[in-house]
Amino acid sequence: MLKLIKEVLKVGEATLPYPFEPIEQMPGFRGKPHHDPERCIACAACAIACPPNALTITTDFDRGFQTWSLFMGRCIYCGRCEEVCPTGAITLSPDFELAVMNKQDLYERADYKLVSCQICGLYFAPLKEIEYVFELLRQKDMPEEALAGMRSRLETCPECRRKNDVPKVVNLYREEV
Amino acid sequence: MTVLTEEKPKVGKKYIEALRARFGASILDESWQAPDQVTVTVPLNSLPEVVENLYYEQGGWLATVVANDERPLNAQFAIYYVLSVEGTTGPSGDEEKVYVAVRAQIPPHQPEFPSVTPKVPAAIWYEREVRDMFGLQPVGLPDERRLVLPDDWPDQLYPLRKDTMDYRYRPEPTTEDETYEFINVEGEGIVQVPLGPLHMTSDEPGHFRLYVDGEYIVDADYRLFYVHRGMEKLAESRLNYDQVTFLADRICGICGYAHNVAYSTSIERALGIEVPARAQFIRTILLEVERLHSHLLNLGLACHFVGFDTGFMQFFRIREKAMKMAELLTGSRKTYGVNLIGGVRRDILKEQRTTTLQLLKELRDDAGRLVAMFLETPNIVQRTQNIGRLETQVARDYSPVGPTLRGSGFARDIRTIHPYCAYDRVPWTVIAKDGCDILARTLIRAEEFFESVSMVERCLEEMPEGPVLTEGFTYKPYQFALGYVEAPRGEDIHWSMLGDNQKIYRWKCRASSYNNWPSLRYMLRGNTISDAPLIVASIDPCYSCTERVTVVDIRKKKATIVPYKEMERYCIERKDSPLK
Repeated sequence: MLKLIKEVLKVGEATLPYPFEPIEQMPGFRGKPHHDPERCIACAACAIACPPNALTITTDFDRGFQTWSLFMGRCIYCGRCEEVCPTGAITLSPDFELAVMNKQDLYERADYKLVSCQICGLYFAPLKEIEYVFELLRQKDMPEEALAGMRSRLETCPECRRKNDVPKVVNLYREEV
Repeated sequence: MTVLTEEKPKVGKKYIEALRARFGASILDESWQAPDQVTVTVPLNSLPEVVENLYYEQGGWLATVVANDERPLNAQFAIYYVLSVEGTTGPSGDEEKVYVAVRAQIPPHQPEFPSVTPKVPAAIWYEREVRDMFGLQPVGLPDERRLVLPDDWPDQLYPLRKDTMDYRYRPEPTTEDETYEFINVEGEGIVQVPLGPLHMTSDEPGHFRLYVDGEYIVDADYRLFYVHRGMEKLAESRLNYDQVTFLADRICGICGYAHNVAYSTSIERALGIEVPARAQFIRTILLEVERLHSHLLNLGLACHFVGFDTGFMQFFRIREKAMKMAELLTGSRKTYGVNLIGGVRRDILKEQRTTTLQLLKELRDDAGRLVAMFLETPNIVQRTQNIGRLETQVARDYSPVGPTLRGSGFARDIRTIHPYCAYDRVPWTVIAKDGCDILARTLIRAEEFFESVSMVERCLEEMPEGPVLTEGFTYKPYQFALGYVEAPRGEDIHWSMLGDNQKIYRWKCRASSYNNWPSLRYMLRGNTISDAPLIVASIDPCYSCTERVTVVDIRKKKATIVPYKEMERYCIERKDSPLK
């Protein structure tokens, strides 16, 4: 009993004054994901990886934009989005105080323009994603003339590209034969 | 990627040979999923005898029972009785140990199978669950009540059949009332005491009914699964393999990581993926960190239930260090979420290592002082010795797991019996006691705590360099295997079969408490009602607190409702019985 009293006196007060004082997290704590809309290319890698469907991508093909949205009510702070993001647009912050008065405040969204196909004119991919790929190719030292051709290839939707390419491949084959 | 099955020799062939010698042509097929995992197919009518032979003749323990709707594959249902066959059930068996799954096919036009429960009592819950979820009738099962499905669930709707329902479908309740029939114990002076359905000790709801004669419990019955979340169906329907790891983390609020590792290893074994050694060590460290906080929590609760609340506060104070350790190593206090199929996502860096070692040192000192004080408190031994006895034979019959089993004299710990992760690479001792009572179970937790501290230290020191994640493998459809982890409360067993659409085909996860519940009834018998909360807490169950207690006097046909707080107070103070 004396030992216990000694222990209790030695420890003193263990309870922290939180929330009246901030509480410290360990480094590397996984809190609310922070989204940088400038860096994001709307590639949807995060939405595919997200286990609880907190991150979703919806596409409006008629009006030509793609919406990235995060619903904090579903987020489990696993950080898969951070891990799969090719541009580092999502990072997990140490922020864990997420109570809101209004459910709508738990939603975060960003809209991205889509590119329309040079041939059929239908919207098919986010502009920023295409620019990102183009930039990657430029940095791989692709020659200027090849780059120009690549640009128009990138701005063609997969469907039209297939329609274009199949006859070309067939012709190549015929020439060889 | 290497295929393990071709490299390592198979262990435990002799058990299968013994089966062949005994049952001859009844062993239709034998297939090995891993060096220590084999599935034998038998005809439906010899299922009970084969399982009984493995269980009682060859030293088997029932690990799990899996039903699987294999109609899309081979037009049959299948049922797998998975046993850990260990040759001897003595305290220190050196014999080969192997997981044997006894598989039988069930034709869809006659969905029934002979019940194994009359021969092996441990199968009782599993067979009730199989009937609920798959509509396969265990013929001869002594208990015909539902187990998992709620009373208001429609008949003929079997959620885990592949063609039954979408995972989002919620059928209309068929009844307004609870129709569950508790067992009926009648006799001179016997009174029923229902506890529940909400909150008994800690987290989840469960409905208990105690049959008491005066102050003494004659029998007990319970209804659980009020919080069945349909995770297996969800995983099979919506998530891909990596995403399921995060769901597995959420099976349990305490041993989530153990489930996570069990799931991941089941997939890795099914595919023969070799997890890098460093990842194995990291998993071991995190599993033991989880055990640290879990055992401290249970020790704290043990203090609380005997009325030693200062001890409770002190154990929870030092438990905070274990929580901080988890936060430092994984980024989260609970739901660590660091596993992927093939390894882990987060390495342990030098700085984290130093801080963890420091925290471990503090924890060892703090816990050492507290445990000594705990045992010196006169109340503790008096309240726990010879209370809530789990007799050796009952333990043998019902396959309980973890400290519950080890407290009844069986030195059975999956970490040594079927070593996984890095448990065969660091030295440690299995703790077992033969007191069969609450005291034994509590002491085991206390001693295991210090083993875990040393184990984490050793792992941090001896962790090899290298990658932490194996990537670039392909998923092969319909491979299956078992994953197992000794969670703080006992083994968590996961059985997974891969599918052909980047989704798991069948995922059966069995939490440790599932095996402990059926034997609880025997622990409660003969004890006083004021010990009931303490006994329930001593198996460290994954379920929860009772807000109120209903007392039914059979002779007077009168029901009295006592708030749970009152019940808990009675357990702590032991005076002014609420029954009087």
